Amino acid sequence: MQTKQSSVKVCEVTITDENEFIAFFDTNYNLFKDYLIVINGDMSEEIKEYMNTKGLSFLQNVTLPKGKSRKPIEQELENEKAKYLEAKKQFEDELSKLSTPKVVAPEPVEQRDLKVLDSLIRSGQELNIEGDLLLLNRVNSGAKIVIDGNLIITQIVDGAIRCNGNFMMLKASPKANIVFHNVEVDNSYLQNRLNRVELKNNEIVVTPVLKGTNWEV
Amino acid sequence: MGSIIAVISGKGGVGKTTTTANVGLGIAINGKRCVVVDFDIGQRNLDMILGLENRVVFDIVQVMDGEASVKQALIKSKFNENLFFLAASQTKDKSVLDSQKIKTLVEDLKNEFDYVILDAPAGIESGYEHTIEFADSAIIVVNPEVSSIRDADRAIGILDSKSQKVKDGKEVVKYLIINRIDPKMVQSGEMLTSEDILDILSIPLIGKVPEDRGIIDASNQGKPIIMDKNSPAGQAYKRISIRICGEMVPMEDIESVQAGFIDKIKGIFK
Repeated sequence: MQTKQSSVKVCEVTITDENEFIAFFDTNYNLFKDYLIVINGDMSEEIKEYMNTKGLSFLQNVTLPKGKSRKPIEQELENEKAKYLEAKKQFEDELSKLSTPKVVAPEPVEQRDLKVLDSLIRSGQELNIEGDLLLLNRVNSGAKIVIDGNLIITQIVDGAIRCNGNFMMLKASPKANIVFHNVEVDNSYLQNRLNRVELKNNEIVVTPVLKGTNWEV
Repeated sequence: MGSIIAVISGKGGVGKTTTTANVGLGIAINGKRCVVVDFDIGQRNLDMILGLENRVVFDIVQVMDGEASVKQALIKSKFNENLFFLAASQTKDKSVLDSQKIKTLVEDLKNEFDYVILDAPAGIESGYEHTIEFADSAIIVVNPEVSSIRDADRAIGILDSKSQKVKDGKEVVKYLIINRIDPKMVQSGEMLTSEDILDILSIPLIGKVPEDRGIIDASNQGKPIIMDKNSPAGQAYKRISIRICGEMVPMEDIESVQAGFIDKIKGIFK
């Protein structure tokens, strides 16, 4: 099937006096020659002949689709969009109910079981810490710290850190591999002597702490 | 009662065997009775560096299995009468080592000598663990490059968790030797500096050895570089040996470039 769309100007007429009709179209021929003339009611053979000789296209007794103004159309589109969004949201809700059982997030604990360590964490060592940790020594390349509480390390980190606490405080550590709440932390954000790393609204926020402090001493 | 020193590095090719030979000979030159033992079963090299490859009759595995006595297996060095050598087996592999047999052997050697130096194999497998098991102290040999440092770090970690002394609640004394330092590369920042390495490993430094082309020739000829009075590396090993014997020798600065005679003349015309 081939379709073609075009908009045409339409002139609707009801004939009461044939002569008047002919006279009208004679005088306004130039204006109406490209119009589609729609004649409501009866029309005589003379009128038909007149139209044909003039070359005017016409139709008889057609119900024309009523055009709508812009506003109602836009309104309709809006409604449809809202309906679609509603359906989508419902679908997603159902989907999430199916895939993940609802987990009640535990209340974030401010601080618990603080451990203080002053030993060097060497390559190949892995610390698994429940609670918080204050580490006063280096974490060497190839070492790993896994912790579910808060973490403060005052020396440089070359190894890996997996932290799920409320915050971390770390020295600028260009070689470290740091993952905080399953998100990798870009080392280039850790530029200061001590940086506080937190998770706020699912975004990792790094704030400098104590810019000029020298922890080497 | 002597002391057992394990020479370890983690990574291969950094100079463990060369260090063992030279430090052993240096200690002997200092008048202490010393024995160097090759623990690299299956890949022995120390006999060649000491120039004793054609003198090996019995090896360490035969001694541990009771096929030969310690006295029969010990070979006296041709450079110093205080230095003895116990060869590794070239035909067996590391699986023949057994803690109890090693303990008996090293106890025997400890009674006989002032210093027992064990040349550990590269890596951190069973051969390495057996070497450090009964060590009183360890010499850690590193090169100024990151992979050597990381491997040494790992080796120290194992030393601190698996040696008998640590299990008894004591500490294994650790000495660091930074080997193959190229002063020019340190100056241009291509090599790690001693400070960086000490920061990372945090164990006391006992000496720095510069890169020396003479070492290859010395190894090929079976004459340890410490015998060469003009070699900077040999002199460095001499100082390290004296420090191990407990005397203080000032640390030499080998990292700054000393302008040679030709460089000075070039400098005039610049």
